[in-house]
Amino acid sequence: MSRTVSRASIVSAIVKKDLVEFSRDPLYLFLSILGLVFFIGFFWIAPNTVNETLVLGVHQTGMDALFEEFEQGATEAEGLKLVQFASEDELKKVVSGDVEYWESEDGTQRFFRDKAAGDKRPEDAKRVAVAIGIGFPEGFLEKTAAKEKTTVTVYSDADVPAEIQGAMKSFVREIAYALAGNELPVTEPAQENIILGTDRAGDQVSLREKMRPMLALFVLMIEVISMASLVSSEVLTRTVTAVLVTPAKAGDFLMAKTIYGTMLAMSQALIVLVAIGAFTAENWALLLLTMLVGSVMFTGVAMIVGAAGKDFIGTLFYSMLFLLPLMIPAFSILLPGTASTWIRFLPTYGMTQVLTGITAYGLGLADVWKNLLVASAWVIVIYLAGLFTLKRKVESL
Amino acid sequence: MTDAAIKVEDITYSYGDLQAVKGISFEVQPGEILGFLGPNGAGKSTTIKMLTGQIAPKSGLAQILGKDITLDDPDIQARIGVCFEEKNLYLSMSGKENLDFYASLYGIKDAGSVEILRRVGLADRAKDRVKTYSKGMRQRMMISRAFINSPDVLFLDEPTDGLDPVTSASIRNTIKEEAGRGAAVLLTTHDMFEADELSNRVAFLNDGVIVALDTPENLKLKYGKRSVKIRLRDGAGVREETVALDAPESGELIKAAVGSGEVLTIHTEEATLEDIFIKMTGRGLAG
Ligand SMILES: Nc1ncnc2c1ncn2[C@@H]1O[C@H](COP(=O)(O)OP(=O)(O)OP(=O)(O)O)[C@@H](O)[C@H]1O
Ligand SMILES: [Mg+2]
Repeated sequence: MSRTVSRASIVSAIVKKDLVEFSRDPLYLFLSILGLVFFIGFFWIAPNTVNETLVLGVHQTGMDALFEEFEQGATEAEGLKLVQFASEDELKKVVSGDVEYWESEDGTQRFFRDKAAGDKRPEDAKRVAVAIGIGFPEGFLEKTAAKEKTTVTVYSDADVPAEIQGAMKSFVREIAYALAGNELPVTEPAQENIILGTDRAGDQVSLREKMRPMLALFVLMIEVISMASLVSSEVLTRTVTAVLVTPAKAGDFLMAKTIYGTMLAMSQALIVLVAIGAFTAENWALLLLTMLVGSVMFTGVAMIVGAAGKDFIGTLFYSMLFLLPLMIPAFSILLPGTASTWIRFLPTYGMTQVLTGITAYGLGLADVWKNLLVASAWVIVIYLAGLFTLKRKVESL
Repeated sequence: MTDAAIKVEDITYSYGDLQAVKGISFEVQPGEILGFLGPNGAGKSTTIKMLTGQIAPKSGLAQILGKDITLDDPDIQARIGVCFEEKNLYLSMSGKENLDFYASLYGIKDAGSVEILRRVGLADRAKDRVKTYSKGMRQRMMISRAFINSPDVLFLDEPTDGLDPVTSASIRNTIKEEAGRGAAVLLTTHDMFEADELSNRVAFLNDGVIVALDTPENLKLKYGKRSVKIRLRDGAGVREETVALDAPESGELIKAAVGSGEVLTIHTEEATLEDIFIKMTGRGLAG
């Protein structure tokens, strides 16, 4: 009797079987549910307040009276501080972080510190990080009043959220309205955005928001443990040999494990991401793509771990061995400042940057594609390593 | 089909430096049961692993249903059934689910899993998870799984291991049924009675080499000695006399022995497969 059976139906039969096994094992279920509850809970109890004040640097000429008014208003409104700079160059240097801006406690004395030039820390003063700056061109007032087109330059730190950059636009427009009286200027002042550096000091993202990418990664990691123990149990109890004497091939088995692992990791991560409000109308496609890339990466890790582990404790041990270093980039998001160089070489770094960019800073594909590419390159390396390790293990049985 | 279902020519296998199979040759015809006997570590399971494509022979030629086994041909894999030495079942799934899963790997939609479980006496446990099965029940699951695709070639590595005598007898019947519908069966066993009862031919494997291969009857004729054992009352005690049956004077000797006292019992003693094997390898099978 001869039958033909398609590769696809073999693979889907194995995936279905894996899901049944998963749903029957209290340990896998426990791990998954615990992960969900813990991470979602953790997110919602994390502080959501931003205790940093947004500092807006301004350079202008001939609009002193106007800005005095603004400054007054700004001091009253919590969370906004206006600092004026004598030249546009000075403003640019401060926003980019090349020069630090310090103020005495009462705000009467100002210091500029050029670290590279070896300037000392000013005494009795605190550093004021200027995240965003607006440079008004000379004659802005007159030109706007004459309804002529001028260019206002907005300098911003790379990680200033899009909403704040948007707010800057309305701010500039409002000034223009104010200047032109009740009449609307025919042409709005054009704006130019210059994004400087990557220093995160002074950005307006709460701890809770920073946790989004971290939690997304953690969920994927938890899935590594259950996927790895499923793989290792299939290897250790040699059920895989029984599968491989049928028309199913080693490739079908590996493909099924890839689909199963990716599905499991994706669905868990999606639940968490939805529950912590990470999806927006703009970011959902990019976020899904990123999570898919992440899921495949951790499926690769699970294959390596699953092939190495001799029992559940062994699997847990190897999982931790691989996962702890992979978690470091996620933790480093929580710390202000730029990540150390060595962290950048960890496989999850690119992924973390992309997730942070998307979920906490509202960036789009244009901003994150480089890191996404780095992440994808790592995914290929790790997944192939996982495939190779597991294939060798299966063939050595 | 007159071609051999299993055809093996001088295959060898080594685990590193250890040569487990040292060049063996045999054939199994459709409908024939070949019993593989041999002490632990003789290379029986290694041979089955090679023939089922789990490991590749280091040298030699082996064909299943006319196709070279190293081709890893799914059409051939669809026509073999394997009962492994180790019980590799999905414990969290029921007996029926286990069979249904394997059936789907063969592309069998309506596998009749419960019917197959009935043949090994597990129909009433079909819905229970294998985790809750006893050792013997799990062994019966292993056998039923080998039957799932009505294979043309069956490899059974110690199929009745750990089964009670009644269950063993019933499993032997199902194996005979499989051969009866035309399947070629290669089975290993440590049970000499089973080998004798089931096998059309037996192969004695020792240290990676086939030392004898023939029908059980021929082997017994060739290697064994038939005799008569007579127990007689001798005064207060019991005396025992053994007379070989193959000599021309056997008849006279028996007459003399029976006439020498009050006969308690007379038994004819046939050589068993075990006697033959001990003779040929210098050790027992169970060792
Ligand atoms: N995975 C392995 N790695 C190394 N050596 C092995 C392996 N499997 C079997 N062997 C060796 O190969 C030889 C043959 O083993 P095999 O399992 O084929 O014996 P067997 O006849 O099936 O024995 P048993 O009656 O105990 O099942 C033995 O010496 C054994 O130690
Ligand atoms: Mg064996």
